[in-house]
Amino acid sequence: MADGPRRRLRLMSTLLAGLVLVIVAQLAQVQIVDHRFYKEWAREQRERTVAMARPPRGVIRDRNGYVLAGNAVMYSIEADTAYVVDPEGVAAALGPLLHVPAAHIERLLDSESLWVQIKPLVSKDLGEQVADLRLQGITVRPLWAREYPEGPLASHVIGFCNAEGVGFYGVEEFHDALLQPAQVEWRGPVDPASEQVPWVVAPVVLPQAGAGLVLTLDRTVQALVEEELARSVQEYQAVGGTIIVMDPRTFEILALASWPEYDPGRYNDFYGLDHLPFEDPAVSQQYEPGSVVKILTVAAALDAGLVTPATTYHDQGWIEVGGVVVENASRQAYGDQTVTDILVHSLNVGTAWLSTQMGAGTFYRYLQAFGLGRPTGVDLAGEVAGQLLLPQDYERWHDSNLGTNSFGQGMAVTPMQMISAVATVANDGARLRPHVVGQRVAADGTASSCQPVVESQVISAQTARTLMDMMVRVVDEGVPQAKVEGYRVAGKTGTAQIPIPGGYDKEGTIASFIGFGPVPNPRLIVLVKLDRPKKSPWASETAARSFQRLTTRLFVVLGVPPDGTRVAEALR
Amino acid sequence: MSDFVQWVTHGVKRGKLEMNSRIALRLSALVVVLTLVAALYLVLVSRTAAQGRHIQQLEAELFRLQRENEQLEVELAGESSVSRLWERAIELGFVPVEDVDFVRPLDEGPSAEEP
Repeated sequence: MADGPRRRLRLMSTLLAGLVLVIVAQLAQVQIVDHRFYKEWAREQRERTVAMARPPRGVIRDRNGYVLAGNAVMYSIEADTAYVVDPEGVAAALGPLLHVPAAHIERLLDSESLWVQIKPLVSKDLGEQVADLRLQGITVRPLWAREYPEGPLASHVIGFCNAEGVGFYGVEEFHDALLQPAQVEWRGPVDPASEQVPWVVAPVVLPQAGAGLVLTLDRTVQALVEEELARSVQEYQAVGGTIIVMDPRTFEILALASWPEYDPGRYNDFYGLDHLPFEDPAVSQQYEPGSVVKILTVAAALDAGLVTPATTYHDQGWIEVGGVVVENASRQAYGDQTVTDILVHSLNVGTAWLSTQMGAGTFYRYLQAFGLGRPTGVDLAGEVAGQLLLPQDYERWHDSNLGTNSFGQGMAVTPMQMISAVATVANDGARLRPHVVGQRVAADGTASSCQPVVESQVISAQTARTLMDMMVRVVDEGVPQAKVEGYRVAGKTGTAQIPIPGGYDKEGTIASFIGFGPVPNPRLIVLVKLDRPKKSPWASETAARSFQRLTTRLFVVLGVPPDGTRVAEALR
Repeated sequence: MSDFVQWVTHGVKRGKLEMNSRIALRLSALVVVLTLVAALYLVLVSRTAAQGRHIQQLEAELFRLQRENEQLEVELAGESSVSRLWERAIELGFVPVEDVDFVRPLDEGPSAEEP
C-alpha cells in the first residue's frame, strides 16, 4: 500500500480513537465523577411528594360507645385545566349533577389557572356519580367532614370543628392536637399526572384517623338532663341555665348541659349574631353562688374542730363584720340555733358568725382547698378561674368580705367549681379533678384509660359524713321540694343576687341547687343553675324542683334502687 | 459523505473474514445466555409492575372500604340517635316511664323499714 493511503488511514484512526476517548472521558465524567449529581437530578425529575387525602379527625363517643362526633365521607370536585380537552362537554355533564350553571363551570375550565375547584364539598353519592363519568382532567378528591349525629346533644361539651379541621370550644378544642390526624405524604416515582407508577411497589401509606376519645358522658343521661333544662328554663321563665351531673366517686361528668344550646353541625348559622352560644357557661361564665357556699363554710368550721353540728349560737337577725351589717335573707332573728340549723334555715348571720370565729386565714385556706378561685382543670376549653379575693390582696379585699363570702356573695365561681367543691363532701372529703374524657383510643385501636386525679384531701372523711347527714336534714326539713321519694338525698339551695356596676341587680337572681344521693354512698351529684327565673326568684321554688324531677328519673336510668331495696340487698 | 469514505479507504484492501468455529460457538453461547438473561429480566420487571398495580388496586379498595365503613358508622349513629329513637318509640306507642316501682321478691331479706 502506498504511503498516502496509509497515512490517511492512520490519521483517521487516530482521530476516531481520540473521539472515542473524548466520549469515554465524558461518560466517565457523567457516570463516575458526577454520578451523585445526575442521580439526584434524575430522582427529582421522577419522584414527587404527593399529599394524600387529609385523614379524618378522631371520633368522639359517649361512655357506651355511641358516636357523638364522627366523619362523613365527602368529595371535592376539582379540575386540572390543562388536561381538560372538552370544556364544553365537561361543563354540560357536570352542571346538572352539581347544580352549578354549565356556563360557570366552562368559564372556570377556560381560565388561566392550572387548577380550579368546581365544588368544594359534595356528598358521597354525588362524588361517586361524578367519578363514574370518568371525565378527563376532572379530579374527585376524597375528603371528610365533621358530623354530629346526635345534633345539639351535648353541644357545649363537644364544641365543634370548622371546615379547615380545627376544633373550637369543648372537647374539640381542648383535645384538638390529639384529635387532629397526621397529614400523610407519599414520596415516590410518579407519572406525569402525579399518579404512582405501577412498577415500583411503594410502602402502603393509608390515611390514619386522629386519636379517638371516649367521653364519660352517658348520652341517655345527657338527653334527660337537656330535656329537664329546657323544661325548667321554659317553666320558670329563666334566660338561661346549666345542669351538671357528676359521679362523686370518680368526678366523671355524666352529663353537662347549658341553655341556650346549639347544633355543632350548623355553627355557621350563628356567625354575625351579637351573642354566640358556643361558650360553655359551665366553665366559662362565673356567677356569685350564694348560699350553696354555706356548705363549704360549715365544712371548714367542722373540720377545723371549731364547732360540732350541735354547737349553738344566738341569732339576732344581724351581725356586723368589718363595719358592714350582715342580715339573714328573711331579715328575721332566729334565736338560739345549732350549726345544723344554719344550713337548714340558710342563715347568713350563722355562716358569718362561723367565718369570723374561724378567722380569715383558716376560712380562705379551706375555700382554696375546695378549689375556689382557680380552674378545676377539667378537660374542656375556655375554663376561667372565678374570683376569690384573699386578705393578701390589700387593695381589693375588705374585712367585710369575710362575712359576705361565708354565704357566697362577693365572690365568683363557675358551675364546675361549685359542683366539684360539693362533690368533695360527697366523696369523703377528697377532691378529684373533674373530667369528661374516660379513654383515649389511638389510631391502631389501642385504648388508654384516664385515671381520676386526686387533687387533695380537703376535709376528713368523718367531717364529710357528718356534713352529709346535715345536708340530708336540709332537704328533709328546709327544702322538701328537692326530696326524692324512696331515697335519702342531701342538698343545698343558693339564691344569689347578680352584681352590676355600683351594686346588685334588684330585678333578678341566680337560683341554684346542688344535691347528691343516695346518702351515705352517693352515686351522683347534680347541680342545677337557672339564670334570672321570673316565675320565682327563689331556688327552693325553681332549681330544687328541677333537681327533684331530674334526680328521680336519673336514679331509675342509672339503676340505683330505692333505699329500702338496697338495704335488703346488703342484708342478704 | 461517500467521497469522504472513498478518500479514506481508497487503496485499502478489503480483508477476508476468517471465522474460527470454536470462537463462533462461544459467541453463539454468549448471545443465547445474554438473551435468556434479558428475557428473564423482562419477565421479572413486567411481573413486578403487574404486582405493583395489583397492590395499588388493593390499597385503593382498602381506602374505599375504610371510607364506606366511616360513612356507614355515621349514618348508623344518626339513625340510632336519641332524638330518632325517641321519635320511633313514640310512633310505636311507647310512653315515658313514670312512677317506677322496684319489685322485691317476697322470699328475699327484710326491707329497710323492717327492723
